Formats: sequence, C-alpha cells, structure tokens
Amino acid sequence: MSTSDDIGGDFEGRNALVAEYVLGLLSASEHERVGRLIEDDQALRAERDFWVSRFAELNAEYEETTVPAHLYAAIEARAFGEVVRRRPAVSFWENLTLWRGIAAGALAVAVAAVGFNLMQPRFDADQMAVQLVAALQSHEGSGIEFVALYDEGSGQVRITSLKGTAIPDKDFELWYINGDQPAVSMGVIPVNERREIAIDPTVINPGTVLAVTLEQTGGSPTGVAQGPIVAVGSATPI
Amino acid sequence: MSMTTPSQEVADLIARCALRDRVAFRMLYERTSAKLFGVTLRILKDRSEAEEAIQEVYVKIWQRADRYVAGNTSPISWLVAVARNHSLDILRARRPAADDIDVALDIPDSGPSPERATADNEEKRQIEHCLDTLEPDRADAVRGAYLDGYSYEELATRFAVPLNTMRTWLRRSLIKLKDCLTA
Repeated sequence: MSTSDDIGGDFEGRNALVAEYVLGLLSASEHERVGRLIEDDQALRAERDFWVSRFAELNAEYEETTVPAHLYAAIEARAFGEVVRRRPAVSFWENLTLWRGIAAGALAVAVAAVGFNLMQPRFDADQMAVQLVAALQSHEGSGIEFVALYDEGSGQVRITSLKGTAIPDKDFELWYINGDQPAVSMGVIPVNERREIAIDPTVINPGTVLAVTLEQTGGSPTGVAQGPIVAVGSATPI
Repeated sequence: MSMTTPSQEVADLIARCALRDRVAFRMLYERTSAKLFGVTLRILKDRSEAEEAIQEVYVKIWQRADRYVAGNTSPISWLVAVARNHSLDILRARRPAADDIDVALDIPDSGPSPERATADNEEKRQIEHCLDTLEPDRADAVRGAYLDGYSYEELATRFAVPLNTMRTWLRRSLIKLKDCLTA
C-alpha cells in the first residue's frame, strides 16, 4: 500500500483523506472503513464536521424541485409503518434474542397496563394463583398494542387490545414461544374487544414470549406464522 | 407567531420528529423536500431513481431525527447531508470495486486537533473565496465531486486527465483549501 507521501505528509494526508470521505470519493470498502475510523476518533470527527459544514455553503447550488405529490403518502406509510412492513417473517421468528430485548423494555408498560386490565379483580380461592402479564408493544411502528393477562387459577389468557384498528381482509393472530421452541398459535384475536382464551396451564411461564402477527382472514392456515409481527412482549409475574 | 429564524424552525421540527410527532414530520417535509429532491436529482441524474431515493431519505430522517445535534451543523445542512450521502451510497454500491492502492490506508491517530466547526453562516462565501484561489479546473473538480457526486474515474474522464493525476489534483486542492479555510 502506498503511504501518504505523495500528498504532503501524514497530518495533511489524514485531513485530505477525511475530506475525500466527505466528498464521497472513496470506494465502498474504503468509505466504510474510514467512516468507522472517524466514528472512533474525536479529532477525526471534528475534521469531518469541519468539511461537512464548510462544503455545505455550496448547497445553495442544489436547485429546489417540487416532489410529485403522490410520493408523500408512500413516505408516510414507510416511515410510520401504517402499511405493516413486508419482511420475511421467518427471520423474526428465529430471532428470539431480539424479542427478549424488546420484551424486557416492555415491563414498565405492562405494570401500568395491568391496573387497567385488573378492573375486575378475582377474590376467590384462586387468588393466590400465579398471575402473569405481558405488554405486547407495537413492533416496527405498527401502532398495534395488546396487553395479555394469564391467570393460572382460571387457566385463561385474557387479551385486550390497547391500540390499533382492524385491517380489512386480515386478522391478528396470537402466539406463544417458549425458549427456542417454535411459536404456537393461540388463535385469532379481535382488536376491539377483550377475549379470553383457555390454554394448557403449563405453556405460559415467566419469560414466555407472546406475539401478535398479521395474517390472512381466519389466521395462518399452516399453523406457522406467515405475516409480520405487529406486537410483542414477554410474560412477567405480578 | 414567535420570532424564530427559519433555521430554528427546521431544527425544532427535526426535534419534534425525534419525539415521533407526525404532524412535525409533514411540516418538515413540506418545507424541505424540494431542496432535498434537488440533491437526489442532481446526484442520481435520473428522475425515477431520485423519486425512490427521496422516499428513502425521508424515512431515514424520521428514523434518525434523534441523531441531529444542534450546533454542529445547521439543520438544513444536516438534511442535505442525509440526502447527499444516501444518493452517494446508491452510486457507490453500483460502482465496480475500485483498486484502493492509492488510498492512504494508515491514518495516524495523533496530531493537532482541528478547530471546531463553526456555524455555517460564519463561513458564508469563505469556501467560494478559497475555491477561487485554486486553478479553475481543479476548483471545478472539487465542486463536481461535492455537488454531483462524481467519482475519481468520472472526474478524470470529464477533465481528460489520467486517474492518478486527478487523485493528486484533488488531494493537493483539498490541502490548499484547508489551509485557506483555516488561515
């Protein structure tokens, strides 16, 4: 590899390299590598900011051109996820680490939400039974949220929608995932009413991940999620 | 109405986008999209590609609004940089892998710290003045690299000089520019 001797010494060469980076003159691999070096070095970041703001004066030469009006709706849909993003669902199903990370952050919401969901407390023989709550928070900007309450005494999951509206010709489907096992469907759930689902008492435990996907009407016909995840959270004891 | 400058208003809109304010996003788009579309059009030089790029640029702005740090660059410069960098990424991904032989690969990690970038308005016309101190075709090459996103190869073709000559021109010009801008 040549050194910077043809460009006037190390310090100047270094600064010229940062300027080349800002101008976009480096190849893809070099651009990425130099970008990382800059991120890691305060002096290089300052050098980058120097060039960015000095060259910015030339921005006056970019001529304003009206964007075709129809593009804004597409931008909103992509930015806000109102049309749920099309992504291969399988990559999310496999990524349980990601799920748990998301679910861990949901606890505060879960605790707040459970007060709302426990408006009808149970004062019966089962009151000491384990109860778990999961806040299924909006995923990828879907705007869909649910809270799920599992009561071991009744063996039921009570699922209530907090946010979001029904999508024409689609249904939301609830799933549970334990560890590295495949997701198991708990059926299609409504967005505008509470639903109680009876389940095998052994399947929901602290840490069990609950997720909602957007599926074709009636739910996934295969028993395996096909649509994107719109909300996800993990069960926490209360 | 409050007495804020247009620049402050754009900065406020970016800050509100970081707080997921969708109304602010629309206002920011209405105020800035024509400028940013000018950037994607000039660099990509293809209308349908520029239209696709402008959508991706605003999605990025929505997702990265929290990364804007007021004071480092003016808000509109930051937005232009997002559009410009996105357009350059598209061009770069398309170019054949270049030989990196002439690129200085080792960046010494010591050396005097450059002075902090000052606000854009203090630099008004300073870069123009400094570009004027360069030979005209070299100044045009720097402008072409910045404004049009031309690669070394494209610049060498446009100015009819060998590739290595263009690299030497550009680097020497950038060092001169730096001297002039910090004089």
